[in-house]
Amino acid sequence: MTEPTFDAIFDDLIDADAELQSFLAILDALLPEASMLLVSESGAVLDGARPLAVALPVREKLVREAKATDGFITGKADNGTRCHAISLAKFSAVLVISCTASPEDDWEPGSAIASLLRNTLELALYRQEREMLVADHEQSVRQISILQQQHGKLIEDNYRQYRLNQEREKEYARTLESEIAKQTAELREANVRLEEISRLKSDFLANMSHELRTPMNAIIGFSELLSETPLAEEQLEYARTITQSATSLLTLINDILDLAKIEAGKLELEHQPFDLAEMIDNVVAMFKIPAREKGVVVASTIDSRIPKRIMGDCNRLRQILINLAGNAMKFTEQGGVDIKVAYERSAAGRIVSRFSVRDSGIGIPADRVEAIFEKFTQADGSTTRKYGGTGLGLAICLQLVELMGGHLAVESELGKGSTFFFVIPLEEAPAEIISLQERKEAYREKTGRGGKILLVEDNAVNQRLAGILITREGYEIEVASDGTEALEHLRHQAFDLVLMDVQMPNMDGMEATRRIRAIEADSALRQDYVGLRALKQPLGIVGLTAHARKEDETACYEAGMNGFLTKPIIKAKLTMILGEMMPGISSPKGNDPS
Amino acid sequence: MPSAKEILRKFTELKTLPHVAIKVTQLVNDDRSTMQDFEEIIRLDPVLVTRLLRLVNSPYFGLSQKVESISKAVVFAGMKQLRNLVAVEGLRGLFKGEDADFSAPKLWMHSATVAILSGMIAKRIFGKEGEDVFLAGIIHDIGLIVENQIAGEALREACRAYREGKGTLIECERSAIGADHAEVGYLLAKEWGLPQEVLGSIKSHHLGKQVKSVSSTGSILQLAEFMAGKMQYWAIPGPIEPLPPELSQHVKEKVADYKIIIRDLPGEMAKAKELYESDE
Repeated sequence: MTEPTFDAIFDDLIDADAELQSFLAILDALLPEASMLLVSESGAVLDGARPLAVALPVREKLVREAKATDGFITGKADNGTRCHAISLAKFSAVLVISCTASPEDDWEPGSAIASLLRNTLELALYRQEREMLVADHEQSVRQISILQQQHGKLIEDNYRQYRLNQEREKEYARTLESEIAKQTAELREANVRLEEISRLKSDFLANMSHELRTPMNAIIGFSELLSETPLAEEQLEYARTITQSATSLLTLINDILDLAKIEAGKLELEHQPFDLAEMIDNVVAMFKIPAREKGVVVASTIDSRIPKRIMGDCNRLRQILINLAGNAMKFTEQGGVDIKVAYERSAAGRIVSRFSVRDSGIGIPADRVEAIFEKFTQADGSTTRKYGGTGLGLAICLQLVELMGGHLAVESELGKGSTFFFVIPLEEAPAEIISLQERKEAYREKTGRGGKILLVEDNAVNQRLAGILITREGYEIEVASDGTEALEHLRHQAFDLVLMDVQMPNMDGMEATRRIRAIEADSALRQDYVGLRALKQPLGIVGLTAHARKEDETACYEAGMNGFLTKPIIKAKLTMILGEMMPGISSPKGNDPS
Repeated sequence: MPSAKEILRKFTELKTLPHVAIKVTQLVNDDRSTMQDFEEIIRLDPVLVTRLLRLVNSPYFGLSQKVESISKAVVFAGMKQLRNLVAVEGLRGLFKGEDADFSAPKLWMHSATVAILSGMIAKRIFGKEGEDVFLAGIIHDIGLIVENQIAGEALREACRAYREGKGTLIECERSAIGADHAEVGYLLAKEWGLPQEVLGSIKSHHLGKQVKSVSSTGSILQLAEFMAGKMQYWAIPGPIEPLPPELSQHVKEKVADYKIIIRDLPGEMAKAKELYESDE
């Protein structure tokens, strides 16, 4: 399609002469002294502001001649003045002009007048074109102003939206806050629930320990007793196997309970004076027999700078050393196991000491060193098959050592042996604290009386087991099945020692002990009790409980007991405590199988 | 014979107005709407997003930097441009199919020309925002498309009668169809929720006399319609109705202005190609 033009579009409303008229008006204004007329293409005559009369034949001649040339054609107007005609190519029209002020003969091409008039014509044409430029300019100005308005609106909108967004953000922050608060509350609640669950778990653990140890008590006890009855070789072998298996099962149960306690943060270390050398000797003594059987040597050395009596948890330290020595023994076929306590340095009134257990066993591959401290893990899978064990021992030792403020580590060379060691600070026991055990010894020396024991125990199986064990140790025994019965016995008979079960129906061991201590303290009331009135010292009472926790032991002492024995009753332990607490007319008889 | 309303009802049973077009129009009419609201709606239509980005980056906007994010494009385009873009997108697809009597693609070109001319007149001569008149231009002949869909044969009959000089197009439509495209288009735009100015201008674009002041949307649309018709941007051949005398007078007074507009139109059309050209 061809480019549309204004004329083509608005042909209906175009006044063909309008442009000529406007040109004439402009020229009129530029030449105030001239009179003029325009002859359009169609021959129409347009008069200027000051009309010029030219007779038709003259005009036609002028137009014809002017169109044929480029310059001015001169003619005569009706009033006799000279007039000049020139063709305007742009309009296809001819302009006839008469200027009275101009010299008559000066209209030759190139003359000043002719040039002036030409320039004036150009100016008039330019002025007409200028209208377009002005309109163009005005349109641009309008468009720019719209853009400015839009720009302003954009900025306004932006600001408005910025405010809106700010509000939305605030709203969001508010929801976020409340959301966080809500979640925090939920977490707190969950935490409370978890703590409750954890507490229930600890309680469960304590109960389990009771429930597990009670039947173990019977199994170990009766299998030991069975071994001592006249048996055929095969039967004896069976009975011993039962004892051994039950003992290792008890060890495992104790390990698991220990680990659970440690992990639950329930394990508290004792802080009591004890004889370090004696404890170490005990440990070494334990391994004497298996060492002899394997043909290896167990030895111990303690640096002389380490005090004899120190504060700490004797049992737990012993447990660690037994465990390490046990492992060492297990993996050593020749050479020896060496337990050593070396002096490292003194710091803040404590003696920093290095405990080490060295063996000449198979050693541990370097890449397995870390793993052996993990629960249920041994140096390699085949170890379990060959040497047995649960892999719990080292994990417990590691934790116990950490509780004591040290760190358990190992140096090992494959085929040459391993050294497990830890460095912990030891505190010397103050001189004035005399251990419970020593008090017992002193007491035994002073009284020196005979051996009759009152067993207070509600469980018939345990009554029988303990009864047999005690009788075998060479003591007389009376049995009471609860605290009330025990007091009744004391009213009529004298006893050297009471073995008091803690958990019993009617009156439990704690209450019975408190009553006994109260009677002892009341000189009038004491006279009614044959078993108490003659005593110069408080009656010895040993608590029996399946709860092996520290707080259970403390509770026993708080109730007034002066000894504590965990169930299941291990024959060796019973023998030991009877030996300590009984006046000592009879020494323990028979072989200790442990 | 069906009324304009019935024709429109039948049409909307066949074709629904794009949801996005109606929603965006609502947003433009709502003072509290934000650019984010626009963005959220436009984002849902991938074709629209592409169109928008292409439009904003086209010579029509003449930005010095390339705009790549929707949010920026939305801000640059402005609410009314967005509305127009969405309208163009919604309508473009309807202008399909042609035969000897009626050519929808030619009608689309006519609509685009009228829209661009209207915008130019509004901005350049009256110093007004051109977006509303642009929309009026794009949509003013939608009534013909509706009639083409619902009463194609009757429309063709009207077209033939008009070509043979049996009356104005409106008159021929009324006798052949029972309604005219100005009325039908007005009803459709009303349903769409377009501004009152736009509705009125659609209704009056064949009225043959001046409706309101020369600078009103209606008058501008009449002027642009006349000019586009003269330029042969017209789908239905036939005698072109004369300009109302008031508008002729206005053009006479603004000859230079209109000369410039006619001179610049091809350039503006080229720049706005993104707005009206189809992808095919």
